[in-house]
Amino acid sequence: MTIGEICGFLGGEVQCTGDPGREITGAIAGDLLSFIMGAAKEGSLWITIQAHLNVAAVAVLKDLPLIIIASGRRAPDDLTERCASENIAVLSVPQSMYEVCAELARRGLNG
Amino acid sequence: MAAPVCLEYRIEGNDFMVAGAASNNIKNTLKMLGISSSVCTRVAIIAYEAEINLVIHGGGGVLKAEITEDRVKLTAEDEGPGIADIEKAMTEGFSTATEYAREMGFGAGMGLPNIKKNSDEFNIESEVGKGTRLYSTVFFNKQ
Repeated sequence: MTIGEICGFLGGEVQCTGDPGREITGAIAGDLLSFIMGAAKEGSLWITIQAHLNVAAVAVLKDLPLIIIASGRRAPDDLTERCASENIAVLSVPQSMYEVCAELARRGLNG
Repeated sequence: MAAPVCLEYRIEGNDFMVAGAASNNIKNTLKMLGISSSVCTRVAIIAYEAEINLVIHGGGGVLKAEITEDRVKLTAEDEGPGIADIEKAMTEGFSTATEYAREMGFGAGMGLPNIKKNSDEFNIESEVGKGTRLYSTVFFNKQ
């Protein structure tokens, strides 16, 4: 499933479009940056409630093309600017991390 | 590759927001040199964790990458408080990061273990009150 499709069915606000046609191959959820650095697989989306510049650093280094910021948090301007320059999509949604995970799993996206 | 490529970055202490810039630069340099993406990712993880450690714990320091024919050697050096018990610091889950750093998602106690796991050669030397030196080597032909 593509970034565009995921943003479509989850709703929320696309703060950075990234590459909407890019296929997402997996998913990971977590707020500990070192955990994501160690465990995320390239090409996965990342669900978190962290919303600061280092989120972009981790996404760039691990090649995570979609960041979903959950629980109504929003990316600050410096984060969206960095993501825009790196072609990373940012979606902020009102749903909790759990709800986002459940919805993605229901639609067939496996971790 | 004839001459080694040497990259050196001064990392400021407590400036969380610039962390990642040096690691990204090192990763992009390796990519440009045609190094495999799995190696680039391993080096990126090591460099980022080392960079974050310099920011959070070291009070700033220097991150170096020396790229030769078959390997990249990373060195992170600071003149911070040092590590009293290296074995403890290497234990997954152990962290001395501040509450503020933890709220930002740092201080999971996974930085040094992540570095070791992704290194082919790893060494850390520290003296309390003097500082810490971390060495990590990744070979390009190993997977």
